[in-house]
Amino acid sequence: MSDPAGLASGEALREHTLRFCQVLREDGLPVTPARVIDALHALQHIDPTEEADFRLALRLNLASSREQEVLFEQAFERYFRQQADTRQLRSGIRGETMRGQLGHHYKTLDQQVEAPPEAWGVAESGHHVDLSSRWDPDAPPLAQIIRELAKRLATRPSRRFQSGRQGERIDLRRSVRRNARHGFDLLDLSRAKRKQRRTRLVMLCDVSGSMDAFNPFLLQLMFGLQQALKSSRTLVFSTATTEITAALRRRTVNDTLREVAETVRHWSGGTDIGAAIGRLNRGVIREGAASATVAIIISDGYDNGVLDRIASEMQALQRQVSKVVWINPMYGASTFKVRAAGMKAALPYIDHFLPAFDARSLRVLVRELALI
Amino acid sequence: MSDRPFSSLERVQTLFANDHYIADRALALTVKLAADLQKPILLEGEAGVGKTEVAKVLARALDTPLIRLQCYEGLDASTALYEWNYARQILHIRMAEQDVTARAALESTIFDDRFLLNRPLLAAIRHPGPRPAVLLIDEVDRADEEFEAFLLEVLSDYQITVPEIGTFKATHPPYVVLTSNRTRELNDALKRRCLYLWVDYPTPEKEREIIRQRVPGIDAALADAVTLTMQGLRAVDFYKRPGIAEALDWSRALQGLGVLELSADVLQETAGVVLKYREDVERLRALDANAILNGKPGQP
Repeated sequence: MSDPAGLASGEALREHTLRFCQVLREDGLPVTPARVIDALHALQHIDPTEEADFRLALRLNLASSREQEVLFEQAFERYFRQQADTRQLRSGIRGETMRGQLGHHYKTLDQQVEAPPEAWGVAESGHHVDLSSRWDPDAPPLAQIIRELAKRLATRPSRRFQSGRQGERIDLRRSVRRNARHGFDLLDLSRAKRKQRRTRLVMLCDVSGSMDAFNPFLLQLMFGLQQALKSSRTLVFSTATTEITAALRRRTVNDTLREVAETVRHWSGGTDIGAAIGRLNRGVIREGAASATVAIIISDGYDNGVLDRIASEMQALQRQVSKVVWINPMYGASTFKVRAAGMKAALPYIDHFLPAFDARSLRVLVRELALI
Repeated sequence: MSDRPFSSLERVQTLFANDHYIADRALALTVKLAADLQKPILLEGEAGVGKTEVAKVLARALDTPLIRLQCYEGLDASTALYEWNYARQILHIRMAEQDVTARAALESTIFDDRFLLNRPLLAAIRHPGPRPAVLLIDEVDRADEEFEAFLLEVLSDYQITVPEIGTFKATHPPYVVLTSNRTRELNDALKRRCLYLWVDYPTPEKEREIIRQRVPGIDAALADAVTLTMQGLRAVDFYKRPGIAEALDWSRALQGLGVLELSADVLQETAGVVLKYREDVERLRALDANAILNGKPGQP
């Protein structure tokens, strides 16, 4: 039995737990006072000298997702190892096994986060792109039109009902209550209609070299849609795929651009559409109700990845989500023919193939969506 | 705490083992703490790792009814908490109309226990005992977010308020197990009230033990081979990696087919038992089956 940091005495135990909670908070875990109290309660029901139980009892109360469990384990290791080092209470062997377990966790997490290295068709460009030069402050404002676009894309009838004066079905509960004053003769009926519910948008945006010309429009669209629909997720891809949802949630364009430029190192690189869609299929799509998701892919379809993979991943994507929308900025001209091989491979699995490269074409797009 | 059903971790493990459920230390501690602290358990994990089974085994171990609420999109208060029996109410009203004195009392009788239909949550709260029931709220991530709000009152105070009657408070607060496949994040307020545990795929040793326990009479060598193959299959990047449920199904299938030794052909022929996506079955066909049987697939 080990006793990390001499926890057997009640006072020291509480003291360390509180300080450890502080550490967790700094690591970004939502350790609220209520949770701390719960954790302290839990400790009364275990033997705190049993390290595994102590660790678990805290974790059960303080972490509430798999990611948080990993953060917790890290912090626990760090905090109590430090304590133990100063007191020289714990043997090195114990630490070894722990690291082994953590390594396993990291590995599985990493697999979810990073695209497999073999998928990088062309070396990443690896340079720092100054995105502010690609934001056109004089472009016609898209805010209004994007809000409309978001509305068109992101609502669908819910299975829930909302009572009101009109509606497709009778709300018996309300009707009975309302008619109490008529001696329960059902004179005026309450009705219920379906609520509108919001759809989740997942946007996958091509930022490879071939799309450079459309960057100002892309940035506006991504920023606008993310602001209009807070729950949506945005990823950009070239040879690698990076999620930039958090960056797009910044209040100002400048903050966003700076952060995006810092996190996305593969801007203006090559293209691997298949790998990017694969990342959607295995990650982001599964982290929410897939059937309530509209996937929007913005790309010209020029690709140097494996074409078969594009087709198979697109097929898998279409089967999971409610709609696949592909916005192709090259599709504007009347002379346009689908020439890009990647585009051809993806075409059979797209629900709506739409042109958009500037504000005007976006307006047309919104009008078309209204007809769907 | 009126009664503490589990005196120790080992007691939990023994009770679960009696029912052929191998509970590791983490799960056993979770169950014990949940009972001690009267907190719900929130189990997350891939499909088929035995989350739902925990509630079933718990109910059997404590010899108490299992009340199950299967969640789905659109689940609302009238299906989860309670509903009034409108047909009966209206019938009652019509009958009362014949009688002038009854009419006056109508208002008070119409919202009476007789007309109340108990749905799972209310049934669990009103469970008369002598022991608390086990309430399983399965796949809570399938219900919409609004539904979680209903759960908050139930899970924190073990009470349900019916506006027309009053508040029902549980005399025997149920043991609550929530499961989630994590198709969406749950509300923080809900998570806060629960003990959280991520249920991972089992270690090979644990899986072998589970297969032996759950598939009686299985050949020991076959159980080993199945375990090893499952390790191999889980290392491949399938859309849906097989869980314990699939391992058990597969073991039973192999047993039924009279297979004593696994081979690449057997794996390919019975792939449909383990893999549930067409793409995954095709993917398996392209892989080196022998490597998977040895638990070490080379990633293509």
